[in-house]
Amino acid sequence: MEPAIFWILSAFAVVAALAVVFLKKAVNCVMSLLAFMLVMAGLYILMGAQLVAFFQVIVYVGAVLVLFAFVIMLLNLKDAPDRRFAFPAGVMPAIAAVLLTGMIAFFAWLALQDADFSKATALQPAAEIRQIAVDLFTRHLLVFELASVILFVAAVGAIVISRKEGDPS
Amino acid sequence: MTLYHFVGLGMVLFTIGAAGFFIRNNAVVLLLCIEIMLNAVNLIFASFARYLYGTEGQIFIFIIMTIAAAEAAVGLGIIIALYRSHKTLDMSLIKYLKG
Repeated sequence: MEPAIFWILSAFAVVAALAVVFLKKAVNCVMSLLAFMLVMAGLYILMGAQLVAFFQVIVYVGAVLVLFAFVIMLLNLKDAPDRRFAFPAGVMPAIAAVLLTGMIAFFAWLALQDADFSKATALQPAAEIRQIAVDLFTRHLLVFELASVILFVAAVGAIVISRKEGDPS
Repeated sequence: MTLYHFVGLGMVLFTIGAAGFFIRNNAVVLLLCIEIMLNAVNLIFASFARYLYGTEGQIFIFIIMTIAAAEAAVGLGIIIALYRSHKTLDMSLIKYLKG
């Protein structure tokens, strides 16, 4: 049962990601990304990372994608010129990106050749939420605090960047 | 399911995002492609956390989600500023930094 769910979810994820790249309108791309995020949440549940799946739905679908949709609605793009693809300027960089990812995969495979992960068959229970919370607030407390600083700086920076020139408010 | 299935899926999704970043012109879609890449990395982190029985993988995912949210906020602010000054989101028409 589990392999069938994995293959169905991964097929959906790949199709949704391709739809983000190849659909014409930006709104359709955002909706495809929404489907992609939900499928990823399903994959996390399949992996036993329920907490990550919840955060995926709340943070990505509930906050980030709504922000994207807001900005697309805010900007009236009908009168703006929109060429769909960067042909031919972007094709060579895209091929280079694909080759680079393949190279990273090859070297990762080369480095991990001796480590036999095929025997780790995920039969044991995944990390408990309680254990994750304890680790986050003890050993990784500095990173947690830095994340709040990053969010604060990003919020202020977004306001400063996007306001009008000479607008005192 | 082995670890290699999940890592392979993450690699494929990262490749799609990286290629899409270069072949699209719309600035909003470029940010969406960055989100795809971040999610692919998150998937690989989660799979290693699952198969190596650690909590660090999931904690890394939370930090990456924080960075992604901050990046989306700042990126959309930049997009609004770009649209105000250029009246377009077509990256091939914004040439001041291309030299």
